[in-house]
Amino acid sequence: MGSDSKTVRTSKKQRADQAASADQPGQLPEHLQNQQQYMTCGDNLNYNVSIGNSAHLFSALGIDNSWSHKKFQRDLRVAMKWVKGNDMEFDIIGIDPAIANALRRILISEIPTVAIEHVYMVQNTSIIACEVLSHRLGLVPVLVDPDLLKDKLVKSGQLVWLPNGSEMPEETNCRFASSQSSLLGAEGARLVHDDILLAKMRPGQEIVLEAHCIRGIGAEHAKWSPVATAWYRLQPEVVILEPIVGSKADSLAQICPGLFTVEGSGPSRRAVAGNARQHEKQLEKVRRMSGEEEWSEHLQLRKRKDHFIFTIESTGILPPHQLFLRSLDQLAAKCDKLLEHL
Amino acid sequence: MNAPDRFERFVVPEGVRKISLEKDTKITNAATFTLQREDHTVGNLIRMQLLRDKEVTFAGYKFPHPLDYHIFIKVQTRGKKSPREVMDDALTDLCDEFEDIKSKFQGEVRRMRSSSSGFL
Repeated sequence: MGSDSKTVRTSKKQRADQAASADQPGQLPEHLQNQQQYMTCGDNLNYNVSIGNSAHLFSALGIDNSWSHKKFQRDLRVAMKWVKGNDMEFDIIGIDPAIANALRRILISEIPTVAIEHVYMVQNTSIIACEVLSHRLGLVPVLVDPDLLKDKLVKSGQLVWLPNGSEMPEETNCRFASSQSSLLGAEGARLVHDDILLAKMRPGQEIVLEAHCIRGIGAEHAKWSPVATAWYRLQPEVVILEPIVGSKADSLAQICPGLFTVEGSGPSRRAVAGNARQHEKQLEKVRRMSGEEEWSEHLQLRKRKDHFIFTIESTGILPPHQLFLRSLDQLAAKCDKLLEHL
Repeated sequence: MNAPDRFERFVVPEGVRKISLEKDTKITNAATFTLQREDHTVGNLIRMQLLRDKEVTFAGYKFPHPLDYHIFIKVQTRGKKSPREVMDDALTDLCDEFEDIKSKFQGEVRRMRSSSSGFL
């Protein structure tokens, strides 16, 4: 009976709080704010997964949910975490998943690179079939700045009189009129990695071929994709809902060492959650525990819906930060083109 | 043998508009845009940005078939602005957003470059 009346009282208080906070214009009640901001990871189901991005979503509460450039600029944050060789991790906070996903999709399939496209096989007596070898060659990353092979403008003034008549090539129709060293500089074109195994040969076998590289995008064939992978995930957070004190705090710190630490001493010592991102291996354990009777009232694993942790692993053709900048440019160019034709 | 050319995925055919608009005959202030040679990348992005506009009452996109290289975007507005205007606003806003992300990202690249020597 006593506990019943208590719950009634708290819920009344909660309702009053909600009403009070809803009275202030532009301020969502706390539970709705949490729903908007966080996805809760249950033990076998995620909650509040959807993104409420309609301008009219909270119009019943008198709250405007529409987009404004000022609000976007205020909330947007970018933080680089680490760069190791060809890999990079950075956070973008305050963007919509549609933007994050568009950038990821562009990174994978719409940034041009250079890859082997035609292989002219002169001789191949090895065990590996020509078409298989050609396919393998196509997938080798080629270290050439793709911008060098961009379409160039040709103007009438550039036509040159050939005093010696025709200089047409014969076999492949792909001979270059001038040496390519003027295009690529002294360094020339080379491969990103020199140690990728392409074929194995027995004595007496030989492979003679000429390969022609062209510029393309990953949407046409994955060999032109500039990234090994590019992905994003949401920022995880571990929350202690109800204080965990005494021996329970000790056992929690023992189950998830590092993630939870015990603060204070004596019977009032309590468990404190650390930075979830630094203990990612233990997060699935927390997710499972949040469904167990012992911990369900105390622990919660949740993820911020507008905090994206991007990881880009470049193939080595372009540095990862440049890839990201290029994906932004690509996306802006797409929108510009649509605007132009609208 | 009858496979379509690979470039058909991203080259807008001659005589076809990149983006075209068809007004809805049954619903007021509604229109369907057809975007040639685009997919979920742009479709979902524009849908999201349109929904954020107070003037928009409905926005949705459809990528009808993976071998039909176009998307449809359906928009209905309250009436103060036409579907073409809200589309124009959405695309301009998106460009602004990318500009913001770019400048903040470049700031971070500069920060990393000055703090660690191993960075390119």
